[in-house]
Amino acid sequence: MDWSTLPWDKIFVIVTVLVAGPGIIAGIAVPAIGQAIVAFSGLRAISRQPEAGDKINSIVLLSLAMLESLAIYVLAVILILIFANPMRTFIMGN
Amino acid sequence: MKKNKKLMTLLVVILIVTAMAVISYQIRAKTGFESKPISEEIAPQLIFMIGPIEVTSTVINTWVMIGVLGFASYWIGRSFKVRPGMVQNAIEWLIEAIEGIISKNIGKDNVPSFLPLVAGLAIFIGVANLLGLFPGLRSPTPDINTPLAMALIVFISVPYFGIKSKGFWRYIKHYFEPIFLMLPIEITSEFAHTLSLSFRLFGNIMGEEIIIAILFMIAPFIVPVPMMLFSIFTGVLQAYIFTLLACVYIGGAVKAHQS
Repeated sequence: MDWSTLPWDKIFVIVTVLVAGPGIIAGIAVPAIGQAIVAFSGLRAISRQPEAGDKINSIVLLSLAMLESLAIYVLAVILILIFANPMRTFIMGN
Repeated sequence: MKKNKKLMTLLVVILIVTAMAVISYQIRAKTGFESKPISEEIAPQLIFMIGPIEVTSTVINTWVMIGVLGFASYWIGRSFKVRPGMVQNAIEWLIEAIEGIISKNIGKDNVPSFLPLVAGLAIFIGVANLLGLFPGLRSPTPDINTPLAMALIVFISVPYFGIKSKGFWRYIKHYFEPIFLMLPIEITSEFAHTLSLSFRLFGNIMGEEIIIAILFMIAPFIVPVPMMLFSIFTGVLQAYIFTLLACVYIGGAVKAHQS
């Protein structure tokens, strides 16, 4: 079989899209579970000890932001894959 | 009475955003909806070049924003009174909130010396995130260079304020604190802080802009309004988180192991 006759540019686009969908699903679902755990335990801590609410609140927000950044990394990678793939010129030849 | 006022404020905000969406619709209707691919809608456009330096639309929007902000601060700051009016009340509330963040995370004594840096970061990022709502303008933060510059300011100011408050050798010593093996981990975490700060801001605002652009493409008249309202919330929240994290990083360098 002659590999060079295959339509590599079309295969490249198809593979990119096929990877991007499950990738964004995984990258959103897993940090969402982590954020849910953080919010859950924060709420429980505040309801147990309401006078410590201010301190707990800022810590919860901090950890939510940290977990958010994981999802954002996935989003950035997916955006690069779809819109600005550095391999595109290598595969498609300009 | 109070509830009515809140409702009125919400209605006014919704009306303003709707008006902006309609004006954007008019601007887009003139150029045609299908002309540009989505990646061109988001990426900064090259306007002109000064020698080897590319001047993109981000630079121009940022300078417009800096000019408007500077003029507004001069004009409002000239007319401060003992009895605050409406604008002065809002600004005092904002500055007191930023002072609260600083005093919680860096220390109560350090508020005057850190207020210019932190308040500058907070106001710049907040206004930059909201700039994309105005028709014809686009916010500078979805360009990776702007969040990276903001994060580099924090990256440089962490050792600067650490050395200033603790002295050079004591600051260097905290890299080796429990055992000298911690040095590569500490240095890596400094760079990871910068990376995560810039990418968090970039990714959030970029995602918003892409969703709004896609909504303008498929249903251009009134459908993007809820998303634009939500992007006000996201922009302010991201500015708050950036300020909070910058304060936490600087506070960790300034007051670590003082006890």
